[in-house]
Amino acid sequence: MTNNEITVRVDRVSKSFGDFTAVKDLSLTVRAGRVFGLLGPNGAGKSTSIRMIVNITAPDTGRIELFGRHIDSQLQDRIGYLPEERGLYKRMKVADQLRFFAELKNVSGKFANERIDYWLARLKLSEWKLKRTGELSKGMQQKIQFISAVLHDPDLVILDEPFSGLDPVNLELLKDVVLELKRAGKTIIFSTHLMNIAERICDDICLLNRAEKVLDGSIREVKKSFGRNSVALRIESGNGNLDSSKLISKIEHHSDEIEVLLTADANPQEFLKQLINSGAIVTKFEMIEPSLNDIFIEKVSET
Amino acid sequence: MRKLVAVIKREYTQRVRAKMFIITTILLPVSMLLFGVVPVLVLNIESGNPFRLVVVDGTGKMFDRFRTALLNREMPEPDPDPTKRGQAVENESRSFSLEELRAGSAGSNTNELERRLQQNQIDGYLILPTDLMEGGKAQFFRRNTGDFFINRRVQDALDKTVRDQRLINAKVDAKTLGALDDSVDLETTRISKSGQERDAGSGMALVFGVGFIMYLSVLLYGQVILGSVIEEKETRIAEVLFSSVRPFTLMIGKLVGVSLVALTQLAIWALAFVALSLYGIGALKSRGLPTGLPNIPLSVYFYFILFFLLGYFVYSTLYAMVGSIVTTPQEGGQLAMPIVLVLVIAFYFFLPVSRNPDSDFAFWISLVPFFAPIAMLVRIVTQTPPFWQIALSLFIGFSTVAFLTWLTSRIYRIGMLMYGKRASIPEIVRWVRQS
Repeated sequence: MTNNEITVRVDRVSKSFGDFTAVKDLSLTVRAGRVFGLLGPNGAGKSTSIRMIVNITAPDTGRIELFGRHIDSQLQDRIGYLPEERGLYKRMKVADQLRFFAELKNVSGKFANERIDYWLARLKLSEWKLKRTGELSKGMQQKIQFISAVLHDPDLVILDEPFSGLDPVNLELLKDVVLELKRAGKTIIFSTHLMNIAERICDDICLLNRAEKVLDGSIREVKKSFGRNSVALRIESGNGNLDSSKLISKIEHHSDEIEVLLTADANPQEFLKQLINSGAIVTKFEMIEPSLNDIFIEKVSET
Repeated sequence: MRKLVAVIKREYTQRVRAKMFIITTILLPVSMLLFGVVPVLVLNIESGNPFRLVVVDGTGKMFDRFRTALLNREMPEPDPDPTKRGQAVENESRSFSLEELRAGSAGSNTNELERRLQQNQIDGYLILPTDLMEGGKAQFFRRNTGDFFINRRVQDALDKTVRDQRLINAKVDAKTLGALDDSVDLETTRISKSGQERDAGSGMALVFGVGFIMYLSVLLYGQVILGSVIEEKETRIAEVLFSSVRPFTLMIGKLVGVSLVALTQLAIWALAFVALSLYGIGALKSRGLPTGLPNIPLSVYFYFILFFLLGYFVYSTLYAMVGSIVTTPQEGGQLAMPIVLVLVIAFYFFLPVSRNPDSDFAFWISLVPFFAPIAMLVRIVTQTPPFWQIALSLFIGFSTVAFLTWLTSRIYRIGMLMYGKRASIPEIVRWVRQS
């Protein structure tokens, strides 16, 4: 699979429940082998979009293609899905449960058993293999559910809020596993509202708000297009006549540095020159990329 | 196909392994036995002493006859099953001890009798007036009038006494008198197209038995199906399942899986029953009592199985449908009530159909899937309808099952994504159209 291959193509898809529009005219493409983050506040339409991609609900209008084909039930075997609403059979033993979910994806026998053992070990759950699922803690059950989504070695893994409710150690563990899957060439779509995690593992993102796409693209592109022209600044002796500079639109004072937001058409080099000319000693001058969190908050509050 | 097998396997193994299955398998026959046997045992408990009855005979000639009638010590009647009846009579006759008082004799006035009654020297007294034969009213006094067994036996004995006396007054001889009590044996024989067969009666009993087992298993396992459908909705497992299997496959898998559990349980009970009755028949035979299996053609047994399955599936799909609409088992229980009602109505059709198995009414009823299992079986054992009618009934029935399953899976698929509220009818209709 080359990186330009498209795994998921969502084309002008809408879905409403009665009067409520859950997803409106959504188009996006997910390239093979990349980690795609579906971001947005609660109720933005992330879960509905995901459900349409995994063929649980059908869109009202528009078209969804997976692996270059119109979605059908056979393609479902190539998808692993972790729904936001977790659900496991409480009374079943962990191993039986996982074997059942594997069989539903047409994976059975020795291969299934090996995979179960591998994944239980990878997520540090081996000793729970023969326990009833109901006896496990919530976090452990969540990891079991994650295993059920990746057990059959799917090409496309779709995770709806996979990190919610995990402690920091398990969160780190799961993040590593996701990156491992990426290295193995899998395509991963996940939704989250935890921007710091999305920032660290996503290649591409799509931001939804109120059923509509607000922005999408690779993280780098998004940040670039969002270039707010911010500079982190540390100056010794004098304030460099910051207040009088026409290039600045906003100044924020932090403990030992100043964050300066330049006007939209200002050239940072010009600003630096100005500082030096004014006699200030600049010990730090760093262009700041906007964090995903900043983008998120700004975009969501502006719509 | 592999997915279907996986669903069936899970439903089956999880349930058969469960403690509940083992418990109900053992407990249900035991409790039915208890419900059947205990009341009989309790009713047969004699509260110790015989009933002490004083008879004040105003006619002066009725007492002996009354005593004979009450204690039933008559000349042995030509009875088809003398051993049985004789024994029962002996057992019952011990429960009276009689004392005769002439009217007007000492102690026959009501005050004295009342005193004896109150002091628990006697249990009751009966006053036969002099004009008893001419329609006079006999009076029965006792402390406890709640024991209607005693009342009835006294009443019966009086009736017989008076009737016999009237016949004797009319100069009917003793032999005719005895013959009057003989009942006529009616042997019912069914003539079918293939010739003469016996045992339409036991065929009907079998239909009733099949109907009852159907009723029982629908009641027991309808709930299980309901619970199984709701479980996956409540725990949100359905969402994972729907990302892997088609809802229709899932529904069929559930129905078949749970049904196999039901059939396993029924098979266990049937085997136990057959073993017990083989033992029982052996015991009866050794005592020289008539035994024998109902004389029913093999094809009819085949129909029994087919229509039982039809009935079971029609009703359990309805339960699955209810499960797909509601969100909690409590709600499901309420909404499932009408299903039981329909099943009971199906039972009520037993009588009109068996009376007139060839009528238009019976024909149409036996085509309706909810009633067919019982109605068609009744027709088959009474007046076997043409094969095409049986085939049509089965076809309509199983098509309905398939259609209902399809409908249910559609409702289920969308209902699963709705949170916390039961769907209204228009909503359900919309769900079925979309998805």
